[in-house]
Formats: sequence, C-alpha cells, structure tokens
Amino acid sequence: MTLRNNTKLIERYIEGSLNPSDKVLFEANLIVSPSLFEQYRSQKKAFEMVQFYHRKKLREELETLHQSIFNDSEKIGFKLKIHKIFKII
Amino acid sequence: MLHYTNRDLEQMEVKVKVKKGPEPWNVNDLTETYEVAFPKVARFVKKMGGTLDDAKDIFHDAVIVYYEFAMKGHNEIHSSEVAYILGIAKHLWIRKYKSQRDHVSLSRMENEISIPEGYYLGVQDKKLFSLLSLTGKKCMELLRTFYFNNASLGELVTVWGFPNKHAASVQKYKCLEKIRSIVKEKTLSYDDFKK
Repeated sequence: MTLRNNTKLIERYIEGSLNPSDKVLFEANLIVSPSLFEQYRSQKKAFEMVQFYHRKKLREELETLHQSIFNDSEKIGFKLKIHKIFKII
Repeated sequence: MLHYTNRDLEQMEVKVKVKKGPEPWNVNDLTETYEVAFPKVARFVKKMGGTLDDAKDIFHDAVIVYYEFAMKGHNEIHSSEVAYILGIAKHLWIRKYKSQRDHVSLSRMENEISIPEGYYLGVQDKKLFSLLSLTGKKCMELLRTFYFNNASLGELVTVWGFPNKHAASVQKYKCLEKIRSIVKEKTLSYDDFKK
C-alpha cells in the first residue's frame, strides 16, 4: 500500500464509511502495523484540529451576526431586553 | 493490508460525499434563532453569575454544537431548536465551571444531551492548534471547506481555482498529509518532553 492509499483508508475509517469486513481488517492492521497506527493517530488528531479551526471560523461569523443585531437600530428592543437581563441599563 | 486501486478509492469517495447530505451553514439564516434563543441563554448565564460576554460565548458554542448534531443527524433532537440550544448551553456551562454542576437544573430532555468530549482543547492541543493556524493556514482552510462545509471536489475547483477535480483531490490529500505530518512531529516532541 502506498502512503496515499493509507491516507484514504484512514479517512474512510474515521468517517465510518468502510464496510464491516474492511473495517475489521483495517482494525487488525492497526494492531500489527505500528507505522499504520501512528499514521491513524496523527490523522485523527489532524481532523480534530481542522474541526476546531472550522468551529473558530463559525464563532467569528456568529460574532459578526451578534454585532450586526446589536447595532441594528430596528432591533433596539432586543438589545434593551438583553441589557435589562444583565442590569446594564 | 487492504488492496484498492485508485479508481476504487475515487468511487468510494464519491459515495461518501453523496451520503453527506445536510445544507451547509449559513449564518444569515440564524438571525431569528438568535433573537429567540439568546435571551433564554442569557437569563441562564446571568442566574449562574456570568456576564453578557460569557452568555455570548456560551451561546455561540451552543449554536455550533447544535449545528454539528443536526449535521450528523442525531436522533435525540426531538424538542424545539431553542430548547435544545438552551440545554446544550447548560452542559457547556457545566463543562467550563464544574463546581457549579449541582446548581444547574436539567430537564429530562436536557439530561440526555451529550457534548463531544474534546469540544474544548487542552493545553497541548491549543499549542498545536496555534502552530497549525500559522504554518498550515491554507491547508486548514481547504480541508475545512471539504470536510466540514461539505464542499464537493467540483466546488473546490470553482472556489479555489483548481484546473479539475483530480487536481483538487490531490491537493486535498497533500494538505491532509502535511497537517498530519506536523501533528505527528509535534505530538512526538510533546510526548518526549513528558518523559
């Protein structure tokens, strides 16, 4: 197997799209091949990092939405409602 | 080892992409949810002694977790969107402020909510993330577009200007291998440091 094929198989294992027999075989290979296991562990962590990056970008979009709602003169009632909760006014 | 040809793997990839269904995130569709759900989360956070900024942070995270659950087609989302977001917000608050666990009342529905274990990064992962955000930013952006915005290879071609789908796929895997390689190198060095 090439490195690239391993990357694709690990991707499918993480996504949960391997069929049951391939999944069992892949898991057996993880046990007998330390280098494959290391690739899997690093790739799983890489996915987690990309997911965290995605969440960070979504937070930035939500921050922009928050500012636009709070600065919209037509939504002053909403802003006052929130400020009242925190006794800001 | 499993043996697949490149053609097999490409066909599998197409099937995987077809299985991913839900619509991508559009923050502009969230205005109504924001106006209805945020005051409820704000009241909860205020009750727990938090500030407006705390409420905003918790609410944003709760919306993101809700969106992730919806994308995965979680079966347990039976109640209204607003009630579910409030429930997630309560769990996130408990995750952040463990000592207040006993002061947060959870309904039966809220009790069944389970927040992803690694939602907040640990210290080492934060360092790794900072490094990747600097050295692998373009790749992180490409991979996020593909894996988490559910963009197809065709959309990558359009948005990123690749000459064709094959080139987009090759670049996607190069990026994944680059990020994996940095992760491997840094994780090993952290492990060595701990020894």
